[in-house]
Amino acid sequence: MSDYKEIIIDHYKSPRNFGELGGADISMEESNASCGDMIRIQVKTQGEKDFIITEMKWQGVGCAISTASASMISEKIVGMNKNALEKFGEAGIIEMLGGEINPGRMKCATLAYRGLLKIFESHE
Amino acid sequence: MFDIHKIRADFPILKRKIHGHDLVFLDSGATSQKPESVIKAMDDYYRNSNANIHRGVYELSVEATRLVDEARKKVANFIGARAEETIFTRNASESINLVMYSWGRDNIKSGDAVLVSKLEHHSNLVPWQELCREKGAELRIIDVDENGMLKMSDGEEKTFSENGLKVKLGSFDQLVDDKVKLLAVTGASNVLGTTPDLAEMIKKIKVKAKAVTVLVDASQMVPHMKVDVKSMGVDFVAFSAHKMLGPTGMGVLWGKKEILSKMRPFMFGGDMIGEVKITGATWAELPSRFEAGTPDIAGIVGLGAAVDYLEKLGMDNVRQHEKELMKYALEKMTPLKEEGLITLYGPKDVEDRGGALPFNVTGIHAHDAAQILDNYGIAVRSGQHCAAPLVTSFGVPAMVRATFYVYNTTQEIDYLIEKIREIPKVFA
Repeated sequence: MSDYKEIIIDHYKSPRNFGELGGADISMEESNASCGDMIRIQVKTQGEKDFIITEMKWQGVGCAISTASASMISEKIVGMNKNALEKFGEAGIIEMLGGEINPGRMKCATLAYRGLLKIFESHE
Repeated sequence: MFDIHKIRADFPILKRKIHGHDLVFLDSGATSQKPESVIKAMDDYYRNSNANIHRGVYELSVEATRLVDEARKKVANFIGARAEETIFTRNASESINLVMYSWGRDNIKSGDAVLVSKLEHHSNLVPWQELCREKGAELRIIDVDENGMLKMSDGEEKTFSENGLKVKLGSFDQLVDDKVKLLAVTGASNVLGTTPDLAEMIKKIKVKAKAVTVLVDASQMVPHMKVDVKSMGVDFVAFSAHKMLGPTGMGVLWGKKEILSKMRPFMFGGDMIGEVKITGATWAELPSRFEAGTPDIAGIVGLGAAVDYLEKLGMDNVRQHEKELMKYALEKMTPLKEEGLITLYGPKDVEDRGGALPFNVTGIHAHDAAQILDNYGIAVRSGQHCAAPLVTSFGVPAMVRATFYVYNTTQEIDYLIEKIREIPKVFA
C-alpha cells in the first residue's frame, strides 16, 4: 500500500481549500483526458508581472492521489511565484505525497500542479 | 478439450510474481498475453529465416516470403476470408484509418451520413468524426440504454453541432435512412462487453439504406468467438493481433475484393507498386497494394502462430469458457452489488456480452481501486478505456474493468472478489 500513506488518506478524506473562491483573480481548469479527472482552480494573486499566489481554492473530481495532491499543494502554493513553483517541480510533488508515487499515477499526482503552471503561463 | 491447466502452462508470463503475489491478469481486453508457441515462432524467424520478402531469389528470402504467405492464409482461413482480401496493418486503428482515408474520402460526400454507435472505441469514432467534418457529412450515433444495450427504436433524439461537425444521437430506427452510406460498428464493446446483434442491424439497415457499406470493429470479437466474414454480410472487418495472443504492432483489415480493388492506396512506396516510371506508377494487386514498405514479418509470423493456437483450442470452446467465467463472475459479484459495495455495468445476460466486466467500488475512484488490486498482483484496467463518451454517459469519470481470456480461471475471479472487499478498508 505504498501509495496510500496516512497523509494521503487524511487529505483525501478532508481536502483543504476545497470550494469556491469569491473574488478570485484567475480561474483555470485542467483535466486528465485518459481517466476523466478534472480540477477547477481559483486563485487570488499579488503583484503584476511576476505575481505570487496568495490564496487558492479548488473543486473537481478525482482519485485519492489527485485529490490529496490538490489539497496539499493548495497550502504549499501560498506565497509562490512561477519560478518558485517550477523549482518545487514534480520532485516536490512526490516529496509532498510522502516520497514515492507509482509512475503510472504521476498524471494524477500532478493534475493540480499542471493547473497552477497554466495559471502562471496564462498571465505572462 | 479445454484443459485450463495445460493452457496456463503455455503462457510463460503467468509464472511471474507481482508484489509477491501470483499474477492474476485480467486485462486481456487491452492486450492479451502470449503463449510460448507465438514467442518461439517469432524468435525462430529472426534466428533462422530472417530476410526481406518479395525481394530475393535466394533461399532465405524465399523462405521468409513463404512464411508470410502461409500466415496470411491461416489468418484468412481463420475468419472465413480469401488471402488476397486480408491486409496486414499495424493494428485495428490503422485498419480503420485505411478505410477512412482510402474508401471514405472518395465515397462519403456532403449530405451523406455515417452511422456509428456510442459503444465505439475511440479508434472507430474519431476517424469518422474527422471524415464527416472534412466532408460536411453528418455523424449519427446509436445511443445505449442503462444496461449498455444499443437503443434500437424510440427514445429521445438529440443533435449537436461543434467545429463544423453535425452529430445526431438517437436510436437505430431514428437514425437509419438512405443518407447513411457507412455503418461502422463494434462487434463487441471493449468497455461493457456488449455484443450488438449485428445480423439484425445489417438486415434492417440494408432495407432503408441500400447503398450502405458496413465496417465491423472486431477487435474484441475475433479473439473471443468464431467470426466468419462472409456470412456476416459486411464489407470491412478490422482487428488487432495483440488482443488474440499475437504480437503488438500487427493488425488486419479484411475487405471485400470488389471494394478493395476500386480503392486508392492508403500509403505509397515499396512493395505496393506495379510499374514505376519517373512520371508515376501503377499499383500492385491485392493485398500488396495496401501494404507499402517492408512489413512486420516477425509479427505476421507471430500472428500466424497465434491463429494456430486458437484453432487448436477451438473458437467455440473459447467463447464457451469466457461465457462460463462471465456467468460465474456476475453471480459472485451480485452480493457485493446488493451490499452497495460495487456498481456493475453492462448487459445482464451473458449471451449479450463478451468477456468484459466493468465496475466501480462505491465512493472510490477507479484508479485507486485498480492500484489497490495491483498490490495483490491483480492486473485490471481503470480509466475511460478509450471510450470516453460511453463511460461518462454512465455518470462516472472512470470505471474499473476486468477482462477474461483463455487462461483465466474461476479461482482468479474468487481472488478478485476477495480483494475488492479489501479496497474500502484502505480508506476507512
